[in-house]
Amino acid sequence: MEDADLLMARVAERDVAAFEAVYDRYYRLVYGIAFKLLADEAAAEDVTQAVFLKIWSAPRAFGGGMFSAWIARVARNRALDVVRSRKAHEAGELPADLPLEGTVDDTVFARLDSQRVRTALAELPDEQRDPIELGFFSGITHEEIARRTGTPLGTVKTRIRTGLRRLRSALEASAV
Amino acid sequence: MNGHDEALLDLVAVYALGALPERDARSVEAHLATCSVCRRELSELRAAVDAVALSAEATADEIGGQRSERLKARVMSAVRAPQLGANVVSLERARGRAPNRYLPYLAMAAALALLFVGLFDAFGLRAQAGRDRDRIAMLEAKADMQERSSNEARAQLALTESRVADLLAPNAQRFPLSGGLVARANNRIVIAVQHLAQPPKGKVYQAWTLRKGAKNMTPSVTFVPDTSGLALIELPDAAANLVAVAVSIEPEGGSKAPTSKPTFVRSLS
Ligand SMILES: [Zn+2]
Repeated sequence: MEDADLLMARVAERDVAAFEAVYDRYYRLVYGIAFKLLADEAAAEDVTQAVFLKIWSAPRAFGGGMFSAWIARVARNRALDVVRSRKAHEAGELPADLPLEGTVDDTVFARLDSQRVRTALAELPDEQRDPIELGFFSGITHEEIARRTGTPLGTVKTRIRTGLRRLRSALEASAV
Repeated sequence: MNGHDEALLDLVAVYALGALPERDARSVEAHLATCSVCRRELSELRAAVDAVALSAEATADEIGGQRSERLKARVMSAVRAPQLGANVVSLERARGRAPNRYLPYLAMAAALALLFVGLFDAFGLRAQAGRDRDRIAMLEAKADMQERSSNEARAQLALTESRVADLLAPNAQRFPLSGGLVARANNRIVIAVQHLAQPPKGKVYQAWTLRKGAKNMTPSVTFVPDTSGLALIELPDAAANLVAVAVSIEPEGGSKAPTSKPTFVRSLS
């Protein structure tokens, strides 16, 4: 259990200091995800503000589990909304939201830090890392990834799965 | 695990990553409901995807000290604005906690409707209470419809939240207008006007700004009020050097200089 659970319980009781502590700990994650998706500082700021105001206004939307994973999904969905509104008049499909419920309660992943994940990602073969990063941070679908990288769709899907499995194993191994 | 279709498991991985279009995501969800092999695959891969998300964490240096400070000030001032907390909480309670994934957005949208009323109250701009209640009901219904109808509306709502937060910021300077106000906060200008008539066909409203020392107005954004006559506009112009803001009716696409008598001119002092 992260300390965030305790902080969020206090946020639900309208504790501004607890909210500020949550903000200080997670704003770099929220901003970082929004900036990767939007490549625009002002838009990343707006998304960050919207995510934290949502947390303040509806703290019980967090149903437990790993808070960092939950807030990251909220941030990604919010940023995707902005991507969608930008592309509203273009052809081409956009990916669906990440479901917010059912965050994993996994002791290995509860102790991760961003640096260790970046190292593990860097060790993946390019052909696996690229579609994973494109899929998560570009707001495009697997079909679009296939088109942009000139790779058959079936191959893209398999590489995403293989890469995610490999990343998981690497993180488990590095946690020991 | 034996004999499970590998292509389906690959699709579950793409679903976990959040790179499936809506219709494929729904069909994967339908399969997940009936297949424990895929559910297990999903829960393992989601942990990896959550880790990928973590890799995006920016450093304080990457964000920049000034930006970090301003952003925190924006968020904290919105949180400390008394209306926000109180209204949203009472709404959340009043609505109960239905299993609706859009509920948090809806609660926020409805709270914004209340906020407007409170805000206009504070400036002595409101009509009678009954009209306010009608307005809340209407805005709630509208938010509900928007949430169901389009993702674009959700993005719009996020922008609205951010603008209202600026309007309410304790450090905001507020300049009343007939039926609304102009607010300057955190180096942004937000214009909020209610009961604004729809422009004639082929015309739009256009905002204008006057810079310190300038002789002429600079063209800014064009906009139309929503169906209830509400316009909530953030100007892209940096707020610091502006001495006045105006709005006029112009042909679609906007003009380089005002072509009609302004709807209002407001000096920012
Ligand atoms: Zn299955």
